[in-house]
Amino acid sequence: MCVGLSAKVVRVEEGTAIIDAGGAQREISAGVLDELEPGDFVMVHAGVAIAKITEDDSAEADSVMEELL
Amino acid sequence: MNESAKRARDIITSYDGKPLRIMEVCGTHTHEIFRIGLRKLLPPQVELISGPGCPVCVTAVGFIDEACWLALEKGCIICTFGDLIRVPGTEMSLAGARAKGGDIRPVYSPLDAVELAKENPEKQVVFLAVGFETTTPSACLAAKQAKEAGLTNFSLLTANKTMPNAYKALIGSADAFLYPGHVNAITGNGVCRQLCEEHGVSGVVAGFTASELLTAMAVTIRLLQEGKPFFRNCYPRVVRDEGNPAAIRMMQEVMEPCDSEWRGLGMIEGSGMKLRAEYADYDARLKYAMPVITGRPNPACRCGDVLQGKIRPCDCKVFGKGCTPLHPVGACMVSDEGACAAYYQYGGA
Ligand code: SF4
Repeated sequence: MCVGLSAKVVRVEEGTAIIDAGGAQREISAGVLDELEPGDFVMVHAGVAIAKITEDDSAEADSVMEELL
Repeated sequence: MNESAKRARDIITSYDGKPLRIMEVCGTHTHEIFRIGLRKLLPPQVELISGPGCPVCVTAVGFIDEACWLALEKGCIICTFGDLIRVPGTEMSLAGARAKGGDIRPVYSPLDAVELAKENPEKQVVFLAVGFETTTPSACLAAKQAKEAGLTNFSLLTANKTMPNAYKALIGSADAFLYPGHVNAITGNGVCRQLCEEHGVSGVVAGFTASELLTAMAVTIRLLQEGKPFFRNCYPRVVRDEGNPAAIRMMQEVMEPCDSEWRGLGMIEGSGMKLRAEYADYDARLKYAMPVITGRPNPACRCGDVLQGKIRPCDCKVFGKGCTPLHPVGACMVSDEGACAAYYQYGGA
């Protein structure tokens, strides 16, 4: 139940958003994010977008490892 | 393999210092670490232990009994995350209640349960609200939507939990924590920084991809070598320092802290969330004047010790014999995020 799903926002409507996760579209709640726009990436848990995210985890690894020096 | 991944791998495989115990607090981490083969990279001095961060696993036996009571005595439709259905209660699991005629339905989101209540006005629908800070906002959103829609046939049976006091209860059980990334996505990093500064507890926030787990493990091992307490956010693409303020506001509006029983850890003060008085009509315990139901776990099950990192799942006498994913004795063997299920699935390497 705790596995998050990262997805791209396709459309935003009142309190909800349509996301695209690997080609499958689904409606989720945008009720706990202050601002959301088409093109944003989000982490979805139990049908609710819980965070805006950046798509790329390799840039993330670079920045975290750089700090380790 | 890119430069960062290579460097991370080198840090992990070349470690030859003193023994280290690293606790992956989150059950999804336990599974992903097995799945991507990260354990096989670790030198023998680095021991990974599983923590209490699988919400299904820490849900008390009595909660399952309460849900069965609502299904069988009150005839409610029980909506639940699917993982809970096979968790043993004192007498039976929810699957057992279903066999006795209970209407038990797995849902992906608490909001689906609200929709079900709207579609079935003649039926009473109860959602089983378990989970940490990651999942609690969705349960709060469900209660809020139900109230706004004026529904009188929807309620929550709450066992929501919060991590800060559980971390405190676990101080000393590991050299460093891998903090559950999606909890921090909501709460922010304040509590983890405070644990570091005030209690000398080390840890990093970790993500869930192979790259993120490799990086988090390398950072942890390297900083443990330096010997000073540390906190690092190794999941910045999702976790901001301030967390998700809108989700925090939503939780505070609908729920308030309460004491909560954790399977294995016992009652932890202020470690749970319950509906506020304004939402009393949506609290299944109040709505159905539920009697006090105390569960009795199977005495053979050592989930409690597993959840505190005191034993490995394979040290439990019934692991893989009396207790398998098909016939679970304890909750840790049921959920996909449970440590016993992970050890069973991946051979306990
Ligand atoms: S192997 Fe089964 S009985 Fe033993 S601790 Fe794990 S879940 Fe409990």
